[in-house]
Amino acid sequence: MLELYAITKIYGNGVVALRDVNLKVDKGEFVFIVGPSGAGKTTVTRLILAEEKPTKGQIIVNNKVVNNLKPREIPFLRRQIGTVFQDFRLMPNWTVEENVSFAMKVVEAPTRAIRRRVPEVLALVGLSSKAKHLPHQLSGGEQQRVALARAIVNQPYILLADEPTGNLDPDTAWGIMDILQDINAQGTTVLMVTHAKNIVDAMRKRVVALEAGRIVRDEYRGSYGDEN
Amino acid sequence: MKIRTWAYFHGQAFASMRRNSWMTIASIGTVAVTMVVFGAFLLLANNITHMAGNIESKVEISVYLQDEITSEEIDRLAQEFTSLEQIALVKYVSKEEALLRMRDWFGESSDFLAGLEMDNPLRNGFDLRTHRPEQVLEVVPILQTFDGVADVQYGQGIVEQLFAVTGMLRVIALGLMLGLAAAATFIIANTIRITVFARRREISIMKYVGATDWFIRWPFIIEGMTLGLIGSLVASGLVIWFYQAAVRSLAVSLPVLPLVKPWPFLLGVTGWLVLLGTAIGVVGSTISLRRFLRV
Repeated sequence: MLELYAITKIYGNGVVALRDVNLKVDKGEFVFIVGPSGAGKTTVTRLILAEEKPTKGQIIVNNKVVNNLKPREIPFLRRQIGTVFQDFRLMPNWTVEENVSFAMKVVEAPTRAIRRRVPEVLALVGLSSKAKHLPHQLSGGEQQRVALARAIVNQPYILLADEPTGNLDPDTAWGIMDILQDINAQGTTVLMVTHAKNIVDAMRKRVVALEAGRIVRDEYRGSYGDEN
Repeated sequence: MKIRTWAYFHGQAFASMRRNSWMTIASIGTVAVTMVVFGAFLLLANNITHMAGNIESKVEISVYLQDEITSEEIDRLAQEFTSLEQIALVKYVSKEEALLRMRDWFGESSDFLAGLEMDNPLRNGFDLRTHRPEQVLEVVPILQTFDGVADVQYGQGIVEQLFAVTGMLRVIALGLMLGLAAAATFIIANTIRITVFARRREISIMKYVGATDWFIRWPFIIEGMTLGLIGSLVASGLVIWFYQAAVRSLAVSLPVLPLVKPWPFLLGVTGWLVLLGTAIGVVGSTISLRRFLRV
């Protein structure tokens, strides 16, 4: 499903973000990537989305080598990966519905499929009543649920969540985690980068810990870490 | 791309123009002004060419014959002139005809020509016309070698000057047009750059969702194209109105000035305006997008 082989990433300014990282995630897994700031967590997500190319090593997403994609192939990789970010990244002038349906317009889905699927996904994230709202009329948690709906509307293989609860209060954060678990239960692989110790500890999922660009721990049913 | 996607692109383009209505009006105005100036140059250049052609087509060679020439010799010369490949038209003008013509020219004040019938000082001759105006120069020396030819006259010097002047005017007009087109492209590029800059975050979001560059680009291109099209249509309207008014008023005040007839001439001119205006819009939006698509 997702494989990183001996990945090293050195940025142009000489900063070594990742050193010889090996990671294999199977279909349907739920994986937390944890670690202090600057450990290389964000670099991992950027490499998977082909925003950056690794200096060394190979990345395979869904049986396809993606570390040397041509620029025009990158959009098709990203359609297989749903993404959610700490800052939601919604279109400010578009309604909830438009934000979600955009992802389907991008893949040129039939209008009928869009009309059927969008309400379905909005119901899944509990926003059926707010389909016509604009993002600024929603709370942070609701905005993140819109982003989640957009990420899964095309039924991607992988959901990549980069600190999805980073801007949310604990109760709201748990609401997001519930949805992520639902999505995972339906078969989507979930990869979540986070700092939220309480969430990681409570969920008892696979935990991959990064430190200074290396994987220092990879445990199933793991916790955030001893130092906390 | 599917039809529904194109419909979506157009919806996006028009929504964007509505949202930035002031920028939209400013861009349309810029294109319109540029295209009006461009159109004026086209009108001018075409009319200069037209006038030059008019004068060129009037270039005739007059061959004057020696007085003692016989009518057999005249017939022979007529045949030989006709057989020259450059010559398109040979017309014999007897001295009596020449005198009549002169009377016509002078009209009411032709009294002083009275009595010349008895002792006509004019000469028999030929009016010749070449296929192309520039052939005049090559055929004149040949004509001079024929027996019985006294003199050969033509308006070549004037035509050469005319050619030089119109050629220069065309170069200047072309240079100005290119400059104007570049300026208009630049202004449209800037206008769209402002919209694109305001929406660069949206563009990066689109790329995360997996939109291709063309998916992002098309609405902007349609927007630029529409701005260019509307601007050049406005300009075309102004040019048509202006030229028809000019033709009408000049027909009264300066009837000898041979202006190109408005139709279908204006159709060609405005066609170019619309084509160029639209192209400027497309190029402008493409230029301004390039930088922001690298996400």
